[in-house]
Amino acid sequence: MSVEALDTSLVAEPGTGAFARAGVLRRLARDRVAAGAALTLSTIVLAALFAPWIAPCDPYFTDLTKAMQPPSAQHWFGTDNTGRDVLSRVIFGTRSTLMLGLVGVFVGGLVGGTLGILAAYYRKLDGWIMRLVDVMLAFPAILIGLAVAAIFGAGLTAVVIALVVATVPDVARVARGAAVGVMGQEFMEAGRAVGVTDGALIWRYLTLNCVSTIFVFLTLRFGQIILIGSALGFLGMGAQPPTAELGMMAAQGRDFLFMAPHIATIPSCAIFVIVLAANLLGDAFRDVLDPRLQT
Amino acid sequence: MIRAVLGVALAVWFGDAASAQTLTMMKGIDAPHYDAQRTTWGPTSDIVNMFQDTLVALDWDGKTPIPYLAKSWTASEDGRTYIFKLRDDVTFCSGKKFTADDVVYSFKRLKDPAIKGPFAWRAGPIKELRAPDPYTVEYELEEPFSELLLQLTMFTNVIHNRESVEALGKDYGIKGADGTGPWCFVSWQPRTEIVLKRHDAYKWGPSMYKNKGPVKFEKLVVKIVPEDSSRVAAMMSGQFDITHQFPTQFIAQAKAFPNLVVTEARPNFQLLYYGFKTTRPMVADRRVREAMSIAINRAEIGKAILQGNADPAYTFVDPDALDFDRNTPGIIKEDIERARKLLDEAGWKVGADGIREKDSERLAPKVYYTAGGNSSRVAEAIQGYLRKVGIDWRLNPWDSTISSVKMAEQDYEIWSVVVPYLSAGDLMNIYFDSHNIPTPNRMNWKDAETDEWLKRGRAALTETDRAKYYALVQQKVTREHLWMPVLNINMHQVTNRKIKGARPHMIYQNTFYKGLDASL
Repeated sequence: MSVEALDTSLVAEPGTGAFARAGVLRRLARDRVAAGAALTLSTIVLAALFAPWIAPCDPYFTDLTKAMQPPSAQHWFGTDNTGRDVLSRVIFGTRSTLMLGLVGVFVGGLVGGTLGILAAYYRKLDGWIMRLVDVMLAFPAILIGLAVAAIFGAGLTAVVIALVVATVPDVARVARGAAVGVMGQEFMEAGRAVGVTDGALIWRYLTLNCVSTIFVFLTLRFGQIILIGSALGFLGMGAQPPTAELGMMAAQGRDFLFMAPHIATIPSCAIFVIVLAANLLGDAFRDVLDPRLQT
Repeated sequence: MIRAVLGVALAVWFGDAASAQTLTMMKGIDAPHYDAQRTTWGPTSDIVNMFQDTLVALDWDGKTPIPYLAKSWTASEDGRTYIFKLRDDVTFCSGKKFTADDVVYSFKRLKDPAIKGPFAWRAGPIKELRAPDPYTVEYELEEPFSELLLQLTMFTNVIHNRESVEALGKDYGIKGADGTGPWCFVSWQPRTEIVLKRHDAYKWGPSMYKNKGPVKFEKLVVKIVPEDSSRVAAMMSGQFDITHQFPTQFIAQAKAFPNLVVTEARPNFQLLYYGFKTTRPMVADRRVREAMSIAINRAEIGKAILQGNADPAYTFVDPDALDFDRNTPGIIKEDIERARKLLDEAGWKVGADGIREKDSERLAPKVYYTAGGNSSRVAEAIQGYLRKVGIDWRLNPWDSTISSVKMAEQDYEIWSVVVPYLSAGDLMNIYFDSHNIPTPNRMNWKDAETDEWLKRGRAALTETDRAKYYALVQQKVTREHLWMPVLNINMHQVTNRKIKGARPHMIYQNTFYKGLDASL
C-alpha cells in the first residue's frame, strides 16, 4: 500500500478534518505504547527546552585532568575526551538534534505541502512541479549535505538545507495525492460555482482537508529526519565544536571505543531513544487517524 | 569477543593472510601519485623511499648524511662545488645500469619549471651539473648551501631513470616508476593498495643497515585503511605485519597486546603547531598571539589527548634537532593570568557572554585544520582553554583532499598542521622566508632581517656560522609568537611480533625507510 493511497483515503470523508473527530487523544492515551512514546518524547523535549537549567555542568567547560572518566556519581554519563560532562552535552545535544528534526520537518512540510497542493489545484503547474520533485528525489540527503557543506562550509545551516531538501519531495507527493482526492469532491465544485476565490478554495477547502494527511506523514518522517541529521553530524558536516550535537558526539567518541565506550554509546543511545519514540508515536497517530484502520 | 569478530570480518575483507614471503603493511592515507619531484606529500615519500634511492642516506641519529648511491664526496673551499663519486655496482629495477647521467638528468628534471617541484629548493641553488665520467658528478651551486648533504637525503632528491620517465609520460609515478631501491614498483590501485616486489640485484644498502640487500621478503603489499579503529583491529587480528600509522590514542593498547611490538622512532622531529596569519587584524597584535600561546597547558593536552604519546613543545624546534637554539626555551611561558592581562592591554574586553570584544568585534578567530585524527582533538582542547580567557576559536576542519587549498587562502586567522622536518634550518627556511608567502609562509611574515639571516644561514661555510644565523631567526620568530607550538608528536611503528629487525627511522614520517633488516 502506497503512502499516497493511504493519505488519499483519509480525506475521502468530506466535511471535517481528522483532528476534528472526537476521541483522538483519548484513543492515543489508551494505546500504552503510544502513551509511553509520548511521555518519553515529552520528557526529552522538556529537557532540551530547559537544558541551561537542568544540565548539571557547563557543556563547554573542559578539564583535561578529568578526560574520559567512566560514569560516576559526579558525572552520571562520564566525561568525554576533553573532560566535558557527557550528561550535560547530551542534554544540550538533544536540543540541537531535535531542533534539526523540527526545522527539517516544519520547513520541508511547509514547502513540500505547498508545492503538492498547488500542483493538484493548478493542473498546468502539475507537470513542472512534479518533475522538479522527481529531480529532488534523485539526490540522497547525505549527498546534498556534503555538497552544501563543501560550498558553504560545515555547520548546522548545511544540515538544515539538506534535511529540508530531503523532506520536500516526499511531502509534495503525499500532499498532491491527498489534494487530488479532495479536488474530486463535490464541495470543491460547489465552491467554484458560488464564486469562491482561488485563494479561499486552496486554503479553506483544499489545504485544511489535507492537513491531517500531511501531519501523519510528517510524524512518521520525523524520526528519519533526525537520523539523517545525526548521520550528517557524524560525518562532520553538521554542528562544529564546541556545539553539542548527538551525531557529532557519537563520531567524536568513535576513536575511543576501546578505552571509553561511553563517549560514543551514550549519544548513540540518545539518538536511538528519540527516533524510536518518534516512530512509535508516528505509528500511533497513523493508527488513530487512518479510517481504514478503524473497526 | 569483539576482537575475534573483527578479526574474522577483516580476514574476509582483506582476503589472503600475509604469506611468509609477503610483508603486509598498512597506511591510513594514500598519495595523489608517486612522482617524488612533484609533491611535498608525506604519503608519497615513504613509498618512494622504498623503490628509489638518494645520493646520501640519513643515519639513525637524524643528523648525519652517510654514503649511499654516492660512495664519497668532497666540497670545495668556497662551498659552491661538490664532487660526488658514485657506486659502480648499482642497477635500476629495469636492469639498466645506474650512472652519473641519471643523477644529472634527475636534478635537471627537478629544477625544470614545467615540473613545478615544490621541494626543488631542497637540492640547493644549482648552477650546473656535470658528469665528467660515468661515476663522477660535479654539483655546482650558485651560492653555498650549508645543508645540501642533509637535504639530499630527502625523498624529493631520489634518482630517476630517464627511460622510465619518458616511457610513462604523464603516467609516471602512477602506473609505474623505475628505481634503484631495495623494492621495485609493481602496481598501484589508488586508495586501495600499492604492491612492490624485491629488487633481487640490490646489494648497496647504506651502512646503517646490517643487511646490505636484497630485502628478505619477495613482495611488499601496502594497503590503505583510512579508519582508525579498523587499523587497530586489523593489526590486533594479525592481518598486517607492520604499520607506522597506528592511531596514537591506541598505542597503550598495542603495547599491552601480546602479538604486537611498539617501537618509537627516536629522535623524531614532528611538530603540531598553530600559525597566526599576521596580516589579519584579529591576530596582528603580538600580545594577542602570545596570550593564546600561554593560555593553554601543553603537558595536559599531550597526556589527555594523545595519551602521553607526545611531548609538550615550548619551542618551534625540537631540542634534539640540528642547530636548535638554546636561548629560545623560556620565551613561551604558560601563564593564564598573564594571558588575560595581555588581552586587556591589547584592548580586548570581556563581553556579556564571556567572550572578549573590541570595537564591537568578538575575539573569535577562524581556525583551519585538516579534519580527523589528532588535529581535531587538540583543536577542541585548545578551544576549551581559550574560552576560559575569553577567546572563542571558531573551528573549521577541512577534509584532507581540500585542506591544503583552503589553507592557501587568506580568509582565516589561524591554521594548524603537523610538520616533519630535518633541522632548525629546514624548518625556518620552509616557513619564515618571505619568498614562501602565501604558502607555506601562511603567516605572511615579511621581514628583511629574517630573510637576511636565513640567507646567511643557508650560505654559511662553517657549522658555527650556520647555527648562529638560524639561532637568530629562531629567537626572532619565537619572540614574535608567529606560531603557537603545541606538541612534538611521537612516531611509533607497530609490528607483528613475528617481524624482526624493523627499526623505525625518523625521516619525514618514513619509519620503514628502506626496510632492509626487516625479517621473519
